[in-house]
Amino acid sequence: MASAGAPGASVTELASKLYEHCLNNYPPDQLFYQQDLLGLGIVPKSDLALLLRCTQSLVDQKLFRLLQGKNDRLAWKIISREDAEKLQNLSPDESLVYNVIHSTGRNGIWVRAIGTRTGLHKSILDRCLKSLEGKNYIKSVHNVKFPSRKMYMLAGLAPSEDVTGGAWFTDGVLDENFINTVAGYIEYTVSRKSWFEVPSADASRIKRLKTSDGSVSVKQEAGQKAFIPFPAGYRGYPTVSMLTGAVNESGITPVRLGEESITQLLDMLCYDGKLVALNNGEMYKSVKNPEAVKQSQARKPAGEDKGIDDRLVTNGMTEAPCGSCPVFKLCAPGGAVSPENCEYFDPWLEKSLGF
Amino acid sequence: MTSQYAGELCTLLIEDNFGELFARIFSILNRYDRLSFSRLKFYSRLSNAQLRHGLAAMIQQHLVYHYTSYDDGITYYEPNMQSAYYLIRSGKILEFIEHRLGKYAATVMSTIMFLGHAQVGYLETLPALKPSKSDVNSTSEECEGVQEAEENQGDEVHQETEEDEKTENRPNGLNSDYAPAEQPALLHPTLKALAGHGYILRVRDAQFQSYADNTLDAERTIKSRPDIKALKGKKLEEAVAEGTLELLKERLDGDLTRGLMFNGVPRGAKRRHTNGAHGAPNKKARIDYAAVDEDEGGDGEEENEWSDDEFGEDTIPMESGITVRINYEKLDVALRNRRFLELAERDSSPVTAEVYECLLRRIEYQTAKCRDNTEIPREGEEGEHYSVPVPLRAVVEDVDLLLDLAGSVGPMEVSQPINRRGKRPLEENANGAVHESNGAQSDGNRTYEVDQHLCLLAQPPYSLTSKRMASGLITWTVEFRHLARKLRHLELERVIEARYGDVALRVVRVLHDKGKLDEKRLQEISLLPFKDLRQVLASMQTGGFVDLQEVPRDALRQPSKTIFLWFYDPDRVCNSVLEDTYKAMSRCLQRLRFERNRLKEFLEKTERSDVKGNEERYLSEAELTLLEQWRAKEALLLGEVARLDEMVAVMRDY
Repeated sequence: MASAGAPGASVTELASKLYEHCLNNYPPDQLFYQQDLLGLGIVPKSDLALLLRCTQSLVDQKLFRLLQGKNDRLAWKIISREDAEKLQNLSPDESLVYNVIHSTGRNGIWVRAIGTRTGLHKSILDRCLKSLEGKNYIKSVHNVKFPSRKMYMLAGLAPSEDVTGGAWFTDGVLDENFINTVAGYIEYTVSRKSWFEVPSADASRIKRLKTSDGSVSVKQEAGQKAFIPFPAGYRGYPTVSMLTGAVNESGITPVRLGEESITQLLDMLCYDGKLVALNNGEMYKSVKNPEAVKQSQARKPAGEDKGIDDRLVTNGMTEAPCGSCPVFKLCAPGGAVSPENCEYFDPWLEKSLGF
Repeated sequence: MTSQYAGELCTLLIEDNFGELFARIFSILNRYDRLSFSRLKFYSRLSNAQLRHGLAAMIQQHLVYHYTSYDDGITYYEPNMQSAYYLIRSGKILEFIEHRLGKYAATVMSTIMFLGHAQVGYLETLPALKPSKSDVNSTSEECEGVQEAEENQGDEVHQETEEDEKTENRPNGLNSDYAPAEQPALLHPTLKALAGHGYILRVRDAQFQSYADNTLDAERTIKSRPDIKALKGKKLEEAVAEGTLELLKERLDGDLTRGLMFNGVPRGAKRRHTNGAHGAPNKKARIDYAAVDEDEGGDGEEENEWSDDEFGEDTIPMESGITVRINYEKLDVALRNRRFLELAERDSSPVTAEVYECLLRRIEYQTAKCRDNTEIPREGEEGEHYSVPVPLRAVVEDVDLLLDLAGSVGPMEVSQPINRRGKRPLEENANGAVHESNGAQSDGNRTYEVDQHLCLLAQPPYSLTSKRMASGLITWTVEFRHLARKLRHLELERVIEARYGDVALRVVRVLHDKGKLDEKRLQEISLLPFKDLRQVLASMQTGGFVDLQEVPRDALRQPSKTIFLWFYDPDRVCNSVLEDTYKAMSRCLQRLRFERNRLKEFLEKTERSDVKGNEERYLSEAELTLLEQWRAKEALLLGEVARLDEMVAVMRDY
């Protein structure tokens, strides 16, 4: 026990024992502090110096990663053997760079930030990055927020939403068609759940009542379904999680959309005036009934003419030629542009009156 | 209301309605604001007689304020923009009155409008208001072509005005010694109904002076009171301010509804269900009345809308000494309610809208004006202001008994998802049961259903109603300020959508909701591609709808180190759109005049006394078509002006 070689051997032995134990009994993300490792009872007599030597050897073998935990305490994390193998093959510079990139996780890191953190020269850094990329350890990602920055992250990770801009971006560009498809689907789904469809027997009954009443213009045709609103306080309106589930099951999205993405889209639909959030976004209700939604959606691809139903009701300003007149600001009686020589009034009058 | 375009518009309106003399005087006053007679004469270059006649008649029409200063004894004249502007709304008001109170009431109203203000005694003598002729003389085209007569009458009118002013000073009260026998049968009940609804008010002396003059005057009076004189400093200010308001209220108050209201409802108006119990024909009439909601009121039915048999006192005529005028403020309340109703109709079922109408009408009776302060407060600085609470019971009373309340609200629980049509046994049951009970509804059930409809209205996005509990009773109110704001935003959004498309609308709504945002955040929320977003923001900025704020991050204000925030300020946009609206209105009117000039000779021919009314006999085929086309054109342009006025009402008056 007193020989010079024995402690060294026991250190390696102990270290591998320690590593095995940690690997087998803890999740790979577990953060180990000194006390945790001592508490395992592998290092005899809780010998702190011995422990440190063990961990140091593990760190050297790239089986442990040294981290700084809370209150500047030392902490370690285990690295799987395959990764350790990878790392062992790296040059010191490369492993430095790799660790920096690793530390930023799914957010990725800007090349310049790697430079400042590692203190490496730009040419060395470039070489490291190139070789790492060549070994397929890291990949460059496109950040929506900073489209001009070159960012890297570990090859095995999926970029976070901050980087990609969320589910609505494809290659850093907002995917309009995708958004519209999902939005249309959601609107229709919400709509179906926020109106009560009157059974056909009842619908005719209502119609009859309305006519005898006379106070209501009878809009429903015989074949059309009648929809009536639910009473206030109705709890059956769809929630975000319901909608997320529905969208993911519908097969219209290639990727699984998270609730945040759907919430984002729902908010957008609220701003469009298509949906209404109830109870602070707990539930959503559609403004139009399913039939109307279907109609307005059917119209859109047919032609570029925007449905009149889709718009807000017009007002005086939008109807009058002045409302859309490009030289309205210049118009003055007796001026170069004046109500007398206005060229918009006559076509407008003709168009509205039909002669 | 003192902008260039508003002034231009008012002058145009006066010229159209009253002719050139009025317009000349008004435009001078509009330009110089406050003038003494001699200065006015100097600027307008009119003769003494012309000017005096004109001014007198304009005072009668409430187009000009006059004020005789205590200091120098000189009378100053000032334009009354507000009432000049209301000329444009007269058609709308008459239509509303006709719908609400019948054709005859509209005739009475238009007569009062035409005269500016009128003594009840004078109205009695008018042949137009004799009941027999009431149908012949439907003055729907009010005030048109009146000018000459009015100008000639000037002198006479002025004397009458003075006379009126004298008579007013007598204390008001019910003159029971008045001989009711010789009264035209309909006039007095109609006037009472109008007064009860608050659509007309008593003319007071102070109404001839501008509000500022009245305030100064009242202040002076208060300050000269010995008890006020004793005060000092802040206390003095407070006392003066308070006293002034009180005095102003007292002096300007022309409220005629006192004694004519019964439980918060004008006497004549209490017709819905009090008599609904004892007669089917009556009920029938009610329904017909509702039927014309959207169209025109036109049948003979309305004549007895207001005259009700229960109130014996109703035969007591109005005191003939009272001088009455139109109460525009109150009418604005009524017209505003109509807008709210339209809002409700857009998204709710007709039944719900009708329930809402009942609530709104109840509230209208007790609401004197649209808001307390003269200016629309800035966005976000406006406190919530609830209307008078109306007990649920009262609304239930007003709702038509035949209205199917249950059929338009879905069940609370849907046992199965809706998409499986026809396979909902449970639901069918529940729904069927509701309908079954419809026939013989108990009172409590009905109350519950009305409450349900009102709850439905209280939901977002509009929150058209709100519920209150007052000492254990359910009451319903309407949050007017919030809704007026909503209407304003809707108008603006319509303009934006029409000009910049629905993408812009989304962007504006996001900005309005979130405040100031930079481009990136804006994109994240609105989910728009950068290119579209920038395009739309830039074009809206050019149009003055959104704006950009720069927040430099260092003292150098380099663009690269500056944060750019987009924002949307509805107040600012509203003001500029309001100005544009005034301008568009006057452009329409000017164009109309231009079109009229183009056809001048032909139109003069049709106006000839022998041709008028006998067009078919004297005009050729081509001329008849032309006349028809002209009429359509005129109607279109005037209609457009009226539509624009609706916007003005939303942005300025509600």
